[in-house]
Amino acid sequence: MLLTPDLVPAVVASGHSARVDAKIAPRFAPGAKVRVRNLHPTGHTRLPGYLCGKTGTVAIAHGVFVFPDTNAHGLGEKPQHCYSIHFTAQEVWGPTASAKDTLRVDLFDDYLDPA
Amino acid sequence: MATTKPAPAESETAIRVRALESILVEKGLIDPKAIDALVDTFEHKVGPRNGAKVVAKAWVDPAYKQRLLTDATAAIKELGYSGMQGEDMLVVENTDTVHNVIVCTLCSCYPWPTLGLPPVWYKSAPYRARAVNDPRGVLKEFGTILPDDVEVRVWDTTAELRYLVLPQRPAGTEKLDEDALAALVTRDSMIGVTVL
Repeated sequence: MLLTPDLVPAVVASGHSARVDAKIAPRFAPGAKVRVRNLHPTGHTRLPGYLCGKTGTVAIAHGVFVFPDTNAHGLGEKPQHCYSIHFTAQEVWGPTASAKDTLRVDLFDDYLDPA
Repeated sequence: MATTKPAPAESETAIRVRALESILVEKGLIDPKAIDALVDTFEHKVGPRNGAKVVAKAWVDPAYKQRLLTDATAAIKELGYSGMQGEDMLVVENTDTVHNVIVCTLCSCYPWPTLGLPPVWYKSAPYRARAVNDPRGVLKEFGTILPDDVEVRVWDTTAELRYLVLPQRPAGTEKLDEDALAALVTRDSMIGVTVL
């Protein structure tokens, strides 16, 4: 489809949600302890490398979304749950980091193992 | 003697954008005038004043604030600021004990309908790297010094949700109405690098 100027207001106003209305069981519930898998894909990913191997807690279950790692390469939507994972700064950056500060990172099911 | 100035070098990004644009046009996917309309929309019509109105309404209307914190996408839509790059929103509230900061370490994810296009520094590698591993150092450079007993909570928003910080209402603003309050709310406070 050709994007023409008259379509722009509607495109801007609606956008395109990556949320998927699919009944897929979440692997984790809020409060669950998880460890980030040590993955280093060469293609598209939404997994920040600094979190590999780190342990956190599920803070928010956001629901089911298209998985960008496959979708970006035309390999299908592979819909799955996305969670906000809570990490302490010290878990991620070591003992010199603040004992008070924290990180919340949106991570997909495929990036996580139970811890 | 006449001197000729070399033409300013085009940035790598500008060259890539131009190449992408010509491919999209060649393939019949986009009319160049649609690109002009998109640029015009985000340069002149959409910007952080939208987010400021959301914040001000949350400050004066407790029921709206409750809806904003439980279903931000729907609550923001009530004011008409939803759409592209704001399809799924979360609003995170600053309190006396938690201060929120937004970053996208992998690229530049940002809530366009409420904040407009991201500032250059938000997209820069130094902000993206340091916001996660030295947030207090970054905040200090924005003039924001928080007490040690406040938790700095950095949200790395690399998936599909877009985030807006609900700043704390400044003291002494009890008599201001919603419009006057909205005028106080800055873009940077809604990213979380400053307080009001």
